[in-house]
Amino acid sequence: MGERVTITIDGKEYQVPAGITLTRAAEMVGIDIPIFCDHPRLEPVGACRQCLVEIETPRGTRLTTACTTPVSDGLVVHYNSPRAKAAREATLEFILAHHPLDCPICDKGGECPLQDQAMKHGPAESHFIEEKTHKNKRHPLSDLIMLDQERCVVCWRCIRYLEEWEFKPQLGLYHRGGETVIDTHPNRPLAAKTSGNIIDICPVGALTNRVARFQYRPWSWGPPSRTLEPVPTVCVHCSLGCNLQVDVRTHRVRRIKARENSAVNDMWICDKGRFAQGFFHSEERIRQPLVRENGELRPATWDEALQRVVDGLYRWAQENPEAVGAMGSPKVGNEANYLLQKFFRLMVDTNNIDHRWGGDVLADPRGLSAVEAIHQADVIVLVGVDLAEEMPVFANFYKRAVRRNNAQAFVIHPRRTEDADFGTYIPVLPGSEALLLNALMALMVDQEPFAAQTRRLPGGRDFVTWVKEHRPEDISALVGVSQETLEALARTLAEAQRPLVLYGPDVVRGFQAEANRAALDNLELLLGKDRVAYIAPDANSVGARDMGVLPHRLPGHQDVTDAEVRERFRRYWGSEVPEEAGLTYQGMLEAAADGRLKALFVMGADPADEGPWAEEALKALDVLVVQDVFMTRTALLADVVLPASTYAESDATFTNVERRVQRAPRAFRPERDSRPDWAILVDLAKRWPIREAGESKRKGRKGKRARRSPQARWNYTRPQDVLREIARVVPQYEGLTWDALGEGGRQWPTDRVARPRRFVQVTPRFQAADPEYPYYLVAERFLFDHTKMTRTTEELHHVLEPAVVRMHPEDIYDLGIQEGSTVEVVSRHASVALPVQADERVQRGTVAIAYSLPGSPAEALMGPEGPGVMVAVRTTGPAPRVVNILD
Amino acid sequence: MAIKELVEGGVAITQAMGVTFKHLLQKPITVQSPDWEPIAVYPRFRGRHELRRYENGLERCIGCQLCEASCPTGAIYVEAAENDPENPVSPGERYAKVYEINLLRCIFCGACQDACPTEAIVLGHNYTLANYDRRDFLLTKEELLNPPEPNVIIRAEE
Repeated sequence: MGERVTITIDGKEYQVPAGITLTRAAEMVGIDIPIFCDHPRLEPVGACRQCLVEIETPRGTRLTTACTTPVSDGLVVHYNSPRAKAAREATLEFILAHHPLDCPICDKGGECPLQDQAMKHGPAESHFIEEKTHKNKRHPLSDLIMLDQERCVVCWRCIRYLEEWEFKPQLGLYHRGGETVIDTHPNRPLAAKTSGNIIDICPVGALTNRVARFQYRPWSWGPPSRTLEPVPTVCVHCSLGCNLQVDVRTHRVRRIKARENSAVNDMWICDKGRFAQGFFHSEERIRQPLVRENGELRPATWDEALQRVVDGLYRWAQENPEAVGAMGSPKVGNEANYLLQKFFRLMVDTNNIDHRWGGDVLADPRGLSAVEAIHQADVIVLVGVDLAEEMPVFANFYKRAVRRNNAQAFVIHPRRTEDADFGTYIPVLPGSEALLLNALMALMVDQEPFAAQTRRLPGGRDFVTWVKEHRPEDISALVGVSQETLEALARTLAEAQRPLVLYGPDVVRGFQAEANRAALDNLELLLGKDRVAYIAPDANSVGARDMGVLPHRLPGHQDVTDAEVRERFRRYWGSEVPEEAGLTYQGMLEAAADGRLKALFVMGADPADEGPWAEEALKALDVLVVQDVFMTRTALLADVVLPASTYAESDATFTNVERRVQRAPRAFRPERDSRPDWAILVDLAKRWPIREAGESKRKGRKGKRARRSPQARWNYTRPQDVLREIARVVPQYEGLTWDALGEGGRQWPTDRVARPRRFVQVTPRFQAADPEYPYYLVAERFLFDHTKMTRTTEELHHVLEPAVVRMHPEDIYDLGIQEGSTVEVVSRHASVALPVQADERVQRGTVAIAYSLPGSPAEALMGPEGPGVMVAVRTTGPAPRVVNILD
Repeated sequence: MAIKELVEGGVAITQAMGVTFKHLLQKPITVQSPDWEPIAVYPRFRGRHELRRYENGLERCIGCQLCEASCPTGAIYVEAAENDPENPVSPGERYAKVYEINLLRCIFCGACQDACPTEAIVLGHNYTLANYDRRDFLLTKEELLNPPEPNVIIRAEE
């Protein structure tokens, strides 16, 4: 905020920043000008006329709308003058002339700006005695949003939000004058991924949430047990970690709305975060422990189930700790993940600890330097990450950076994603990102700032020689991108002041993971620190890594093979930490398949969903324990199922993509017999048989004597006790306490994790063409997947991603089939039958299938290989009709 | 001495018995309620709650929960739901799916009927609230909509 100007309101002088509107300035100095159409995040439009004030002009005073008046030096405003007051009262009376005043049945009543301003600024009574205009009171804009046309004051906020943040003009004004109504355009559904935000910003009760409809009243009075309790928490659907307000009444979640946090989600959330509230109290939740008896799962008491778990794990821990493994969860908070790895490292004595897309993904633990970075970037390169589907709120920031800040965008992705509409699309095949990036760097190293970097940093000279072997002219033919595009990108990056490269998990896993990661690290050395960032997939992907739910890392990204590190942890924990790095998530499944792994504890993960091979592997286990909220495919195979509660039933912290640790406090009591994850783990630890003094944890190995039994360190009564220990053990989390986190959370500093410091040379592998499997499989994450988290909310069923295989229309034509016919997609690992859908966004020679469809076809086809799997498409019998989601 | 006490005692007993015999001849003021005789109450008497309907049979209650919010003892519990437009329970879009009053908590202050925007909840004239089971003091919506006819005479306001 540089320049300041002096304005006078009602005879008092104020210093305000230049360039803002009068309404914003008044807000800053604590004067409450009534507004409807004006909104701090939207462009001024002056539609409602509610903010009328008098300003002095050379031609005398004049009434004008404060929201469209920029402040200027010497501006004299009369806010409380009789003329201005009368004008505002008259406007409010007009606005209320046709307002139905049905506040008692309106979901906005109690938090309604119209109510508040009518009480504060309105006349006590109306001149109008005539019948009010009647319009449609029940006009659904979509399955999720209801419009009451009578209540609408035509402020355009919803229209402007969709245009200015989503860049999807999906709402418009119809008719004129008093008949004006908001509506969707013909045959253009309101389908923006963050459409629900228009509910929050509607200044009246015109737009309401259909999922939460009539389930709550926004008042916060009445008896304590009945009143609506707003719980400030975070969203668990993606790694952005949007701040939410979860409204709870009678221990049930009634409504979810956005909570403002300017550092994270500003004031927006996506439709999944807002509307997917069915899972909290779903009938499908596991509400009591189950144990397998005679091949069937039957209900059991907690006592019995926990004892079964301890007995099973202890037996194998005694026999061979390496045969025991544990899977943590990137959808569970830090505390439970920390306790999980602590339990398995200390009690069971194994490092076989991982989570999905953990050890198998060569992720950079630093993540994004800050969400804000996208607002400041002038060049944005997305590599294998589809923001519009994976993190819609962040995607809106990206779109705004392009459209408003004139940032240049390049999207390197196997599919022409929605993000690509905002920049230059550079097609790439799954697994050939390194080829493309090396070709790009071959062009970059000759240009200045980058040439200087290669001279300055270690390994630079060799790198230049090496990278130039990746001749762009060869690569461009290979991956189907024109050399001009690559040259343009190199040139743009050379000119960029604040470039930002973002990559997703699928780029750094699979057969090309090492080469891709190396290429991205080299790119960061060229572009500068924090200019290349890993976009983690799940809400607590970053936190799970920080907590050491990795086979080769102890909490705080410390190397488990380092004796010094282990010694430090021995002092913290009072017991030895196993030396060798353990098995990864995928490694554990492979070990289970060939009999090396015998017992597996799964917390909040569903490895059976990885495909038939994983399911077979899990069946071969001797002991399988699943701790989850829902009866997953893995849980159906388990020997013991422990009902966990959702994140909203216990205090927890989550760490988001920008390393911001945020609080998710308990919102309601656990459903029936379910218990929080951390509490279950503490119980297991307390039941773990205590070893005799001096007895080593492993048979036949002499270990140092534990000074105290490990159980003595499991005195946690609240999750905050665990957080206190995390703050002591994890260097990055030093000094964090529940209270210090506050409602905005805190980022941990990057200076205590390794970052690339020298250029490395990892030659990408070439995938030999296989005539038997001619197509590349492109698996992508979509917002509305078919997991229980979304499927349990009935209103979302229509927007769920259709279970289809998408192909380029010409590929479909070449196969000689019709769109909609069922094809068989075959890989070395599985074969799935799905209807085919034509999609020009899919490249030729690739087939696109979403992750997390019913039966998980994409995961099954991938098998243990990961991204870059080749598939064949076979045509089968007659065609069923494809269900069009727009119908 | 003894004789004096004897006389005084006799007088006292006679006086006391006099009261007894006098009232023995009077009509008792006890009302044989509720089963045999009606009782006279004022129109503003606040007894057991009732939920009213419109003449067309639709419920007046719109599930707005203002009664619940106004209740000083937390005796009321309302859950609202959306009307099926084909087959509405109440006029408009919203109706009360659950409406419960805990008579053990209620202090019959009448705040709920003051707060009600549709005059749906009213305190009726029924005062016969005794029950054999604590659970029976929880009035459901069904019971509130179909109140028993109270055995009362409405007396004129003075």
